Amino acid sequence: MAQHDIEITISKTGEVRVHVKGAKGKNCMEYAKWLAQIIGTVKDQKLTSEYYEPEEKNRIDLKQELHSDD
Amino acid sequence: MGVVIILTPVVIGSWPLIAAAVTAAAAGLGLNVSEKVREGLHEEERATEQQVEVELEESQVLAESVASGKELVLTKDGITLKVTRDARGHCKICASGKGYSQTELKQMAEQFSQKVSQCFIYNRTVTELKKHNFQTVNEDVTEDGTIRVHVRRWVD
Repeated sequence: MAQHDIEITISKTGEVRVHVKGAKGKNCMEYAKWLAQIIGTVKDQKLTSEYYEPEEKNRIDLKQELHSDD
Repeated sequence: MGVVIILTPVVIGSWPLIAAAVTAAAAGLGLNVSEKVREGLHEEERATEQQVEVELEESQVLAESVASGKELVLTKDGITLKVTRDARGHCKICASGKGYSQTELKQMAEQFSQKVSQCFIYNRTVTELKKHNFQTVNEDVTEDGTIRVHVRRWVD
């Protein structure tokens, strides 16, 4: 099983910082896109080394999962 | 590791969702809350009270969800904040109070506006994360009022 972590920081002025950890490659971006839809407009985005690591074989399909929940 | 995104929040929701955020923000700032039907100010109040309006940035209150003329009224130390939906559907905060300057009222309205936005985004984000089986690992509020949430889920 893979552990996926998300750290969210909501400042007093309302700015939001989201850090996705553990999910590799495209899985990482699936989380980022999903949270952007929930929260608002993306001002900045930085990919970290984990993004470039090989994806887990058991790739999540968050999009499908999200749509099936709607 | 992973990806880091910085976002500007957009506050779009039904009146009950906005009202929940307003109530949470009021509790955080020690304000008393009541929901009323909008009334005009009496003439003597207009003459003596300063009044300032600010708009909740990037906000949209869904029209069908709010009864006409409803407003949330918050009070503390002689300052009254009224939260309403304006004609364009944006959330508006009007601050008034005897003995306060325009600057003081604007500062209070803006501080409250930011707190509402913070509470709305917190409620919305945590609700969505829980729907997708994320569990809270840690949650705290720093000295400067920043909310930090750490969630986790396991994927097969």
